[in-house]
Amino acid sequence: MDDFEAKIIENRNIVSNYFLMELKLSKPMGMIRPGQFIMLKVRDGDIFLRRPFSIYDFSKGTITIVYRVVGKGTLTLSEAGKNEKTLVLGPLGNGFSITKRDAYIVITGGIGVAGVHLLIKSLKNKACVFYGCSSKEELRVIDDIARFNPAVATLDGSEGFKGDVVTLFRKQKKALEGKNVEVFTCGPESMIKSVRKEIENIKTPCQVLVEERMACGLGLCFGCAVKTIDEKEPYKRACKEGPVFDLWQISL
Amino acid sequence: MNASGTLGYSNEIESLWKIETLGAYVTKGLSLQPHHGNPTPRIWDERHGMINSIGLQNMGLDRFFSEHFPFFRKKKTPIIINFFGFTEEEYMAFAAKVKPDRLIVALEMNLSCPNIKAGGISFGKDPQMVFEIVKKVKAVTQIPLIAKLTPEVKNIVDIGRAAFEAGADGLTLINTMPAAIVEMKKKRVAIKGGLSGPVLKPIALRAVHECSKAVPIPIIGVGGIMNADDVISFILAGASAVQIGSATFVDPYTIPKAILGIGVYLDKNGYGGIQEITGITHE
Repeated sequence: MDDFEAKIIENRNIVSNYFLMELKLSKPMGMIRPGQFIMLKVRDGDIFLRRPFSIYDFSKGTITIVYRVVGKGTLTLSEAGKNEKTLVLGPLGNGFSITKRDAYIVITGGIGVAGVHLLIKSLKNKACVFYGCSSKEELRVIDDIARFNPAVATLDGSEGFKGDVVTLFRKQKKALEGKNVEVFTCGPESMIKSVRKEIENIKTPCQVLVEERMACGLGLCFGCAVKTIDEKEPYKRACKEGPVFDLWQISL
Repeated sequence: MNASGTLGYSNEIESLWKIETLGAYVTKGLSLQPHHGNPTPRIWDERHGMINSIGLQNMGLDRFFSEHFPFFRKKKTPIIINFFGFTEEEYMAFAAKVKPDRLIVALEMNLSCPNIKAGGISFGKDPQMVFEIVKKVKAVTQIPLIAKLTPEVKNIVDIGRAAFEAGADGLTLINTMPAAIVEMKKKRVAIKGGLSGPVLKPIALRAVHECSKAVPIPIIGVGGIMNADDVISFILAGASAVQIGSATFVDPYTIPKAILGIGVYLDKNGYGGIQEITGITHE
């Protein structure tokens, strides 16, 4: 892990407010695990703190992130041009841990796919992917994993199942009964709550990648607190103890 | 040194640089009993600084000593223990419990906490309250005592003088400034907490300048330091040492870079050490 000088080699609008940015690093980052993240310096000016982004993909000496413009930081980032220089601190946090299972279920929605994309790629065809978004247009965000045949749900029904992704998952989960499965999830809190409800009675193992505002990304400031069921010390650091947590250990 | 609460519990930064780089490590604010801290959001970016509302989350003195103190012992890095309480008794009990140790070079009292027995006003806002609590804490410890002051006061010189007269061995100036963020779109207050970062620097510089003229004890300057030039400004204003906080979040190498930069400045200008320039703006 280190702070790398980086150059933006691509920063393109995928669809609506989703962007993909590829960065060339001054040297390779070293070993990266699915679920890890970076702290990215956003152009000087109105932005003080760096911003955390899941590592969407990487190759030798490059890092890709996929982000959605939600505030001033990501808006400024979306305006960054090719060849602009920046800094990338990473890889940070604990990624997903993969143990031998009969099946791996990935449930994600919206920009949450940025957190599980590497995981899906590394599980190859063994991952059973459920993705939810608002409309057909937004599905372009997952073009890259279309080859894994994700089951898709759109809120407006313009493609795939009409409704939310957890309802779609419910319709298919019967097939998993009695199997040794693990669920991986990343997305809006409401989705994670529904996932939890869905698998509560069978307590399926589930790893969740959480998103939280961060200042340092290194465990220094305790800003990115995630509430857990640990009574002695309920708040854990998303950047240090996470960002991947056991769903049954966090309180939602 | 680092500012309290900006460098984890002990070894978090070690994957980037060695803790021995510091003149001293300042602990996260500790208390006798653990504190869970606040729900999120705890952090907000504010253009030229940030607001934090961590809520003094900490594992308590006992766990700190068993889990983290051995790290500093092994590294032989001097530490300053930052602590807080909500009553005079809590401050005193904490200070009394820390056994003198050659590695513990000072206790740093965070005086920004509300005194729950005095209607919730911060200890640090009233010179009389500062005098009394510093005197009482000083009476129960052999370890040098530093008072860390809040800038949210009528006259920080009066507060600094009260701490000095009560026996404080040094002052840390300044703590974060109470502040809030309003989210226009959502028409709500997003966060209330302590403002830090470069936006605070001129306020801190003035506090250091005025207090260092008024009291003869060493002053640690803190507030918005981003680089060696900022450090030098604080020294010129009258600080004998400085702490770096939020800047570490922006660039985790800020502290080692600033230390190198101070050396370059001193060499270039023919100074043998920072003590030669401490407070030379007073004339």
